Amino acid sequence: MVNRLSIRSKGARRGLAALALASAGLLAACSSSSSTPAASSGAASGSGSSSGGKITVAFNMGAEADPFFIAMNLGAEAAAKALGVTLIWQGDPSVYSPSTQIPIAQQLLAGHPSAFIIAPTDPSALQPIVNQAISQGIPVVNVDTHVNDLSKVLSFITGNNQQGGAAAADAMAQALHYQSGKTYQIVVGASSATTTTNTARLQGFEAEIKAKYPGMQVVSEEYSESQPAVANTNVNNWLTKYPNLAGIFAIDGTNATGASAALQSRGLVGKIALVGYDAYSTNVALLQKHVFTALIAQQPYQEGYTAVQDVVKYLRGGKSTSGIQHLVTLPNIVLTPSTSSSVLTQYTYPNA
Amino acid sequence: MSQVKQPPAVTAPPQAGRPASWVRSVLSNQQVLLAVALAVLVIYFTARDSAFVSSSEIVVLLTNFSTLILLAVGETFVIISGGIDLSVGATCGIAGVVAAFAMRGMVNGHDNEALVLLVGTLVCAAMGIGVGFLNAALMNWARLVPFVATLATLGAGTGMALVLSNGVPIGSDSSALSFGAEHVGPFPYLFLIIALVVVIAWVYLHLSRYGRYTYAIGSNAFAARAAGINVRRHLTSVYVLSGLLAGLTGMVFYIRLGAGAPSSGDGFELTAIASVVIGGVSLFGGSGRLTGTVLGALILTVVTSGLIISNVSPNWNQVAVALCIAAAASLQALRALATPGRRS
Repeated sequence: MVNRLSIRSKGARRGLAALALASAGLLAACSSSSSTPAASSGAASGSGSSSGGKITVAFNMGAEADPFFIAMNLGAEAAAKALGVTLIWQGDPSVYSPSTQIPIAQQLLAGHPSAFIIAPTDPSALQPIVNQAISQGIPVVNVDTHVNDLSKVLSFITGNNQQGGAAAADAMAQALHYQSGKTYQIVVGASSATTTTNTARLQGFEAEIKAKYPGMQVVSEEYSESQPAVANTNVNNWLTKYPNLAGIFAIDGTNATGASAALQSRGLVGKIALVGYDAYSTNVALLQKHVFTALIAQQPYQEGYTAVQDVVKYLRGGKSTSGIQHLVTLPNIVLTPSTSSSVLTQYTYPNA
Repeated sequence: MSQVKQPPAVTAPPQAGRPASWVRSVLSNQQVLLAVALAVLVIYFTARDSAFVSSSEIVVLLTNFSTLILLAVGETFVIISGGIDLSVGATCGIAGVVAAFAMRGMVNGHDNEALVLLVGTLVCAAMGIGVGFLNAALMNWARLVPFVATLATLGAGTGMALVLSNGVPIGSDSSALSFGAEHVGPFPYLFLIIALVVVIAWVYLHLSRYGRYTYAIGSNAFAARAAGINVRRHLTSVYVLSGLLAGLTGMVFYIRLGAGAPSSGDGFELTAIASVVIGGVSLFGGSGRLTGTVLGALILTVVTSGLIISNVSPNWNQVAVALCIAAAASLQALRALATPGRRS
């Protein structure tokens, strides 16, 4: 009996050790590769942030593994390397929520970085963090999304989703050879009712249609809940419901994946116009095969690059805001099968 | 020990009533009621738009059903054994991504399509079995309860799928897509293969000693152990089976999307559990029928597509699914009250 018990506890210990190892490995995998060991020492001296001293830029975002942020990371790293500063890149790996972002942001500020760049997941919930940084004398830049009060924020760099939606409507009309007097049934695949970027894109899309293409009718909108298989199901059901469907606007990468799969498997490539969002390399390859009529690309690389460039310019320029734009709006880019391959490469998100 | 033929702790599955009460048992049978509910839903959605029963839409419905049912079958075994497996959705994602990496080179090298899919299926199965063993290890060695152990692998699996894939779908396999679309009459090949798997699982659960042990452990693990069942080993095999079916579902996702998307199974564990609950399987373990789960999954599939075909606002979808769950669960509870002496 005693013997059995000891074996048991040994087994349990081994199990716990394995668990601890596994979680340590997971943590290591999650923390970003760009946070160098030197970051902590850099952060300690960074609070001085004199123009000659070592500059440490802390960068904090929502879902770090989102291809959009991965592309942004590359841009920020490129700028940090070019300007000779240290970049600390931290965010929750997959959850886009203030409840996971706030503790990470607090942790970053506790290290007294020279500058703080944040893509806030909520305009109100992250405001105190931004205020705290500013009161500590740390300059703050917002990227992609913003907090409510931007008055003390050095700059806000974002993509123009509304303009992107309008560009999608133009691309759709062009693909359909739009003629006034005719009607065209269009469906929209979105992610959820509360994703702000989706809402802005749809607003831009619908406003453009109303102004220029009254014959295009948005007959249905469905949600994918960020699951490509659900997006795929939605498209397959639309194809039953609307036998004369003219076009699909897939408002984000998930919907683009699901919709392109549905059109390919049903042999409808070229028969139904598909305008998608997000230049994943798989999507760009499908664009070249004409599965997508057009892809709308954001410029996350440029957003990350500009953000780092701005704070470094501010810190090295004796904390003067001259030459730094308070609001930078980068347009969404329309990619079509005839776009040159060098341009396509420029806007394609990095792949695994 | 091993000569125990019929473990005394087995609670008879609900269908095992005496022949004399055959008619009554059919009328109070959850499966019969579910089949009626399913028929009513199909008639309702067809009345709203006759395209709902068109051949092409049935292909869509059966393809969706194929995506869900393997997860639900695995979950049925687990829940009957008295546990729960929250990791199945994440397992689909990670298995699909890893398999897509394995297949990408073959696709680009224009290897034989059947061979590519076979390799992918094997990789998915291996990944699923691996996650199943990991779940069992967390329970057996680290002494975690099933909810916590599978919650841990849910998080780890979701995260690893994102880390490996950078968040983007892996691969672009148009021949997988065309295989997914092939069908005889209204029956997709994919569905026919999966239906066969479900039939085998049914035989295993209801006609074999393996199934009886599963019910016995779910009814009373203590008594099952006293009766000589190796409970730990049996539960390990149940979670490995659930993992295997989840891994294979990762392959179904790949075939449907022509790519391994890291988020493809996100949240599907809850849809699978909903199918099981609607099917009348008790979350306390030890009772329920696989046919119930099949009907539950069919009802969820029909509701999801039916609402789109009827052009109902997508926000109502979740409400409708919630109503199905509440209705089915209360039906089960009321039935238990109405027939005293029968365990529900």
